[in-house]
Amino acid sequence: MSFSESQDINTATVVSHQPDNKTRRYDRQLRLWAASGQAALESSKVLVISASATSTSILKNLVLPGIGQFTIIDDKTVTPEDAGNNFFLNGSNSIGKSRAEEAVVCLGELNDGVEGISDTSNFERRFNSDPTFLAAYTIVIAHNLHPTLLDKVAEFLWTDPSLPTLIIVRSAGFLAEFFIQFHEHHVIETHSENMPSLRIDKPFPSLLQHAVSLDLASMDPTDHGHVPYVVILVRAMEAWKSSHGGKVPKTSQEKRAFEQTIRDMRVKVDEENFDEAVSQAYRCWTETNVPSDIAALLSDPVLSQLSLDSPQFYHLLEALRQFTLQPPHTLPLTSTLPDMKADTTNYIHLQKLYKAKAEEDKKIFRGLVRVPVDEAVVDLFVRNAHHLKLMRGIKWGQLDKNPAALVSAITEAPEFASIHLAFSALSSYIVKKGQSSDPLAPTEEELLTEVQGLLGDAQILEPGETALKNAVGELARTPTADVPNTAAFMGGVIAQETIKMITKQYVPQKGYCTIDLVDSKTGVVPG
Amino acid sequence: MMTLNGTAQTADWESRYYHVDQILDRPGPRTDPSFSAGEDVKTFLRSQCKILVIGAGGLGCEILANLALSGFKDIHVIDMDTIDISNLNRQFLFRPKDVGKPKATVAAEFIMNRVPGVVVTPYHGKIQDKGEDYYMEFNLVICGLDSVEARRWINATLVNMVDPDVPESLKPLIDGGTEGFKGQARVILPTVSSCYECSLDMLNKPTAFPICTIANTPRLPEHCIEWASVLEWPRVFPNKKMDTDDPEHIDWLFKKASHRAQEFKIEGVTWSLTQGVVKNIIPAIASTNAIIAASCCNEAFKIATSSAAFLNNYFMLIGTDGVYSFTFEHEKKPDCPVCGGESLELSIRPELTVEQLIDMLTERQNIQIKKPSLSTPTTQIYFQAPPQLEAATRPNLERKVSELVPNGGEVTVTASTLPFSLSLRISYT
Repeated sequence: MSFSESQDINTATVVSHQPDNKTRRYDRQLRLWAASGQAALESSKVLVISASATSTSILKNLVLPGIGQFTIIDDKTVTPEDAGNNFFLNGSNSIGKSRAEEAVVCLGELNDGVEGISDTSNFERRFNSDPTFLAAYTIVIAHNLHPTLLDKVAEFLWTDPSLPTLIIVRSAGFLAEFFIQFHEHHVIETHSENMPSLRIDKPFPSLLQHAVSLDLASMDPTDHGHVPYVVILVRAMEAWKSSHGGKVPKTSQEKRAFEQTIRDMRVKVDEENFDEAVSQAYRCWTETNVPSDIAALLSDPVLSQLSLDSPQFYHLLEALRQFTLQPPHTLPLTSTLPDMKADTTNYIHLQKLYKAKAEEDKKIFRGLVRVPVDEAVVDLFVRNAHHLKLMRGIKWGQLDKNPAALVSAITEAPEFASIHLAFSALSSYIVKKGQSSDPLAPTEEELLTEVQGLLGDAQILEPGETALKNAVGELARTPTADVPNTAAFMGGVIAQETIKMITKQYVPQKGYCTIDLVDSKTGVVPG
Repeated sequence: MMTLNGTAQTADWESRYYHVDQILDRPGPRTDPSFSAGEDVKTFLRSQCKILVIGAGGLGCEILANLALSGFKDIHVIDMDTIDISNLNRQFLFRPKDVGKPKATVAAEFIMNRVPGVVVTPYHGKIQDKGEDYYMEFNLVICGLDSVEARRWINATLVNMVDPDVPESLKPLIDGGTEGFKGQARVILPTVSSCYECSLDMLNKPTAFPICTIANTPRLPEHCIEWASVLEWPRVFPNKKMDTDDPEHIDWLFKKASHRAQEFKIEGVTWSLTQGVVKNIIPAIASTNAIIAASCCNEAFKIATSSAAFLNNYFMLIGTDGVYSFTFEHEKKPDCPVCGGESLELSIRPELTVEQLIDMLTERQNIQIKKPSLSTPTTQIYFQAPPQLEAATRPNLERKVSELVPNGGEVTVTASTLPFSLSLRISYT
């Protein structure tokens, strides 16, 4: 692999002794989402509509990491076609038996800790008689659900923010698409790889005091080679400012001159800590302020009308907003100090200064929170204040009611929007044909007519035209094909998104995500 | 009845391949005209094509299931590992009762039970146990490995096997890899497209802590753990090899590391971190493996059937922030030691010693050769083995390279772990 990912080990497992069997089983995932993410998974309930190959592939990737419970609702019996493409049926032995029951047995074997429920009732009848049963689930996943029924389900789940998230999956042959319908989603632990500022440009009093008080001149040469770059930079910048009217280097000439002052501080040419300081010098003139995406969050109008019932996340954001109103107008300091050339004493001392200041900032922040919040949440929130996410979702299907938006999508991202349009065209075709659409065998022309219906009078130019013909052509080739590789691919993608939604860690996808396994590309069409 | 490797093939039931056949019965808008839709392609896929899967772990389990359902019927799988409890969160062909058994065997049996008529032939052992005649039998090779070394070996082996006069000697290699929510899949056409070795510099540099930091100036919990495993273990147990799979050994390291951390006032040494550092654990989840394995198998299916164009040549997925992917053509390197033919230019200081050159070859991102042996057409510079030759060439380690190799001279680098030699053209600055 060509990338590294941070591992949150401290909170992952029992700290001081050999892990138990459950921790050992989940070790490789606990290193990603820790015990808190695991607990969220274990208390979740997932409903999957139909036991198609794609549906069971999704469930496989949720049962393995240990969701609490899953239900498959499907009143069909296993056909020879199902037995051929679904790994979680027992081959030809399953033919003629309940598809939900057979699938739940094969999925249940993957993890004793997960409860699997098969519901052999007819989803449409059940939903029509009383849709509120859906409220019991954390997430509802629908693969290739009949478009009319799908719209009704989406409509119902949109009526109240407390109703579950709906993940819509459409696939045929080499093509697929998914959309997550959610009201609002807050992420504290985004696991962003961006490091928060070390505040070298705005040193806090104890750091500044420490940096200027060091007696570099009389220092033993070994110690001199072990002064951390953070200290060197703060000190050098103080000196620069006092001789430049309190200003930091602006022009590139000044910046090079500043770097030279760092080199001049060396007592030997091979002091690596000073090399490091030179390479990190940009931190001195990169102003630490509230990052723009966080600033946007803090100016959200919802913060001005908070009540005690508002979500906790809003109250925490409001406290953060008030924190940033005070000098030095930054986010609370985080105590994460990267590794740097230094000896143990110098490094640990510096780390202590950061920790103490972070603790102090957290206390101030804590004082600004108006509602009761768990200490652990405050801690997590402050540590992740640099990359919080507030996502507002959209209702399924809005895009298809907006020809202008569709035209702009096909113009801007033809290879992705064409796939969305092809699936929506197939849906319109199914709705139009009613009973007579079985077996489903639309021609390219019939689908293109439906596409045009969605786009209104707009004339689609190249490369959109070819992209549309390609997408529609694939669907006409394989209108009902739930092929194993596409099912497995979507099984992985949808499970990743479901895990992100349930754990509230990492960032889920917004809009329509399209998958083209001819070109091996994925893309996004904004809702 | 047709037999394959002595195992009777169960007859396919009516409509078994209803889904896949929709792809195979007619071309799509982007399908190459050479595609022979219908019976020809199905016959090739289902009764002639022979495919090798290397690795029966996180990716391997997924790959085997996908291939079997897609209609590949003669599948071979190699894996040297046995099943561990920590595999069960993603390696879905294994159950708690299988812990300790060979992965290849258990996986093969599971697939043959679940997908009747498919023959999976397991080999519990190393890829290096097999020779060119073995690899020559396959039409395609898919790798789901976690080891860079093994990938380099199979890549070089398949590149070396290509005989321009024998088209079948070119075996497409499909390689997948994952880490957490991220992964990649790629198609390598040995000698034609960029090979694994060409992209070695895309790998992350392995975290290596300088020994002086570990010994004298620890700052991070990781430094304390490295101290315990690299310095303390061999000192206390000079004759006992550390086994990172043995919880007692991890326990010992954890206690030593904790003690040292306390002494230096360093926070954060935990059992889990200790294990993670000494075993170099990479986070792994079922969903990411599913995506990457599906992508690999989809490419294998497209190559085997020509039903659609295959990936050219690299698909990279990042699932941490939405679903972000990047598909691109990684370019072949003319000076790739495996498929390039041109020597690699290396410019060094004239004062550089042979030992320093060896360190450089070990660390350089695009070379990464552990324990290299060096020679020129006329001189044996340094040989790691056999012992007599090592002893005879050892004095050269302290000599300057410039005393042994003229400006513009060529040095051949070999290593026992890699089936190729690297040709360096040395110039002096």
